[in-house]
Amino acid sequence: MDFSIDTEQKALRDAARELASRRAPQHGEGDVPVGPAPHDADTWSALAEVGALGLPFAEDVGGFGASAVEVSLVATELGKAGVRTAYADALIAGSLLATAGSDLLESVTDGSALVVPAMAEPDRAWSITTSSVTAEGADDSWKLTGEKSPVPYADAASHVVVPASVEGGLAIFLVEGPTAAGGGVTFDGTAATLLIGPDNGAAALSQAINLGIVTLCAEALGAMEGASTMTVEYLKTRKQFGVPLMSFQTLTQRAADMYVSLELARSTALFAAMAISDDPSDSTTASRAKVVVGQSGRHIGQESIQLHGGIGMTAEYAVGHLVTRLTAIERTFGDTRQHLASLASTLSDHEQVDILS
Amino acid sequence: MQRRLSQEDAAFQQRMRDFFTTEVPADLRERWAAGGEPDPDDMRASQRALNKADLAVPHWPAEFGGQDWTMLQRHIYLQEMQAASVPPPLAFNANMVGPVIAAFGSQAQKERFLPPTANLDIWWCQGFSEPDAGSDLASLRTTAVKDGDEWVVNGQKTWTTLGQHADWIFALVRTDPDAPKKQMGISFLLIEMSSPGVTVRPIQLIDGGHEVNEVFFDNVRVPADHLVGEVNKGWDYAKFLLGNERVGVAPVGSIKRRLADAKQYAAAVQTEHGTLLEDPLLAARIAELEAQVMALELTVLRVAANSREGKPDPASSILKLRGSQLQQDVLELIVDIAGPAGLDWSTDDWEGLAAPTYLNFRKASIYGGSNEVQRQVISSGILGLRG
Ligand SMILES: Cc1cc2nc3c(=O)[nH]c(=O)nc-3n(C[C@H](O)[C@H](O)[C@H](O)COP(=O)(O)OP(=O)(O)OC[C@H]3O[C@@H](n4cnc5c(N)ncnc54)[C@H](O)[C@@H]3O)c2cc1C
Repeated sequence: MDFSIDTEQKALRDAARELASRRAPQHGEGDVPVGPAPHDADTWSALAEVGALGLPFAEDVGGFGASAVEVSLVATELGKAGVRTAYADALIAGSLLATAGSDLLESVTDGSALVVPAMAEPDRAWSITTSSVTAEGADDSWKLTGEKSPVPYADAASHVVVPASVEGGLAIFLVEGPTAAGGGVTFDGTAATLLIGPDNGAAALSQAINLGIVTLCAEALGAMEGASTMTVEYLKTRKQFGVPLMSFQTLTQRAADMYVSLELARSTALFAAMAISDDPSDSTTASRAKVVVGQSGRHIGQESIQLHGGIGMTAEYAVGHLVTRLTAIERTFGDTRQHLASLASTLSDHEQVDILS
Repeated sequence: MQRRLSQEDAAFQQRMRDFFTTEVPADLRERWAAGGEPDPDDMRASQRALNKADLAVPHWPAEFGGQDWTMLQRHIYLQEMQAASVPPPLAFNANMVGPVIAAFGSQAQKERFLPPTANLDIWWCQGFSEPDAGSDLASLRTTAVKDGDEWVVNGQKTWTTLGQHADWIFALVRTDPDAPKKQMGISFLLIEMSSPGVTVRPIQLIDGGHEVNEVFFDNVRVPADHLVGEVNKGWDYAKFLLGNERVGVAPVGSIKRRLADAKQYAAAVQTEHGTLLEDPLLAARIAELEAQVMALELTVLRVAANSREGKPDPASSILKLRGSQLQQDVLELIVDIAGPAGLDWSTDDWEGLAAPTYLNFRKASIYGGSNEVQRQVISSGILGLRG
């Protein structure tokens, strides 16, 4: 196993870093946007320009033939700078389009189409095996009925990719020009194109989600690194009782614990990116990574605010925004509980965890 | 030892429950229960309804509206109020400046300020913290200089909660810059927010709300008789204010209310195998929280019963520490129950409010003496560990 990156990967990372620093949100005195960020077309075309949007897809389907590892390098830089985008969402949609061999993938990778998955459902816990949205039809004529909500970025999307129940299981559909309202998308006999039928729908969705999870884990890693760095810096400079906060050992020891969480998350997120590049269907590794990164993110996020004191709570200062993002990431594409539950259900499949085989 | 409530206390509990659930308007309680930024009119309406029934300031001296209740009764009162989602009396009025004026103010100050303070006709805010004086409050720099029969105040306060609605601010100001210890040159001053030279700037928090402010004083003239107690003794009054709250530092009733809500929310979320409430991992977490909250409530009762009347009790640090932790744990649980629905902040139902509320309540372990400061009080004050 080797965690080092080659020259090409370094160049990609540097380009992403440069992009992220240019597109990083500015927080100053006065009101700034908080919470979920809307789609930003400029950042999106910048991502398309550095080739980030097609990285993990094969060249013959319109991608750039790199892997989830390259995706992770980009996502980490976005996370560190607090640049929030539909990157993970679009890669999930892209992965499904790639499996389906859809021409639309090219427009996704060049940034001209924004395609996002519509998966969450009202009053239902996250699930990738069931859907209460149903589809009826055959051949070129399908109609969807039901509601997906919330669907992040739906209001800016040119298309949504929708898992729906059909006879025989779960199939994946494409809907052009979705009408987004109230944060979600409602289908009422809405015309849709079948991308992947029930034979392969659930498996393809699971692979796509794995890629999304790895992307989010990398973004979270960046956000954790950003928050930890800011906290360490603050402990060195903020003075109370006539001394810098770092004079209080109770605080420095906790900064050390944050660092431990960060580095364990880093190992796991990088490993998951390699594992998913090798085997896109390795949901077990994706779930373990989601759990580790979720818990680390919670720990580092909460401690970052606490060790900053009041300033950490404000919208004028970046650390709280990173914590907001970590909070959202932990509940995206399945939360810690849900991934733990799926891991728990497969305990008897293995004697011990083997990462080197 | 005795486990059950006495007949008298049980009757008291029933009386409180009846009052809170029938005399405080339901729409107002519903808005409070939903969370989000508090509506000042609701807070005024609620406190006035309580005050009319002599229930706004039960811990004040009897002549100013206090009740001769036991600590257990005060706990029951708070518990029932929180369980019914009644907006509580404004803490700055009822728990902070009121008791200080009652204990240390002049007769004229008591007569002038206490009745409108109890009735929220005066809205107070707390001007203690400054940009460079947070945990180290005694290093505050806002000055008050005597000029004839006025004080002239200059400086800046920050984190002033709900200062935008306030009529008055009670502030700690430096009146003797040459005092041998920095705690000794501080006074406790009452300042009208409409005085020329007072400016308020809102601070936005990460949930988008504006509950805190910066307050600037530029040559603000304050009549000399607005100083509480003796000059340069303000630190003692501030310690009294921050330390004498044994009952109510841990919002047990609110935590229990929220946890009960969380169970309802979980029961309404479908999973592949039933509802979230039936999910073993989530159910175990709720069960654990219920046990921990029980331990906290029992400790509240035990501390209350043993309290040393009127004296700060270091045991209140246990309640502040654990109370803020459990409050944060329950709000975190609610974000987890909301799951993907919590990613959308645009609705004002419980799912839309879950994440902002969780983020907002990270404040609970920072303000009112941070959790690190509470641990310091426990280790040095109780355990004698003064390294
Ligand atoms: C939402 C909110 C509302 C508030 N409302 C008010 C109000 O109405 N009026 C008012 O006067 N103030 C108010 N405060 C201010 C609050 O009391 C201060 O934020 C608090 O005292 C901490 O100070 P600080 O933010 O400057 O953090 P700092 O004191 O800079 O602390 C930063 C970190 O260092 C830790 N630390 C500091 N000193 C020590 C030490 N000696 N040992 C170990 N750890 C230490 C702290 O615990 C914290 O984790 C409010 C704060 C918030 C966040």
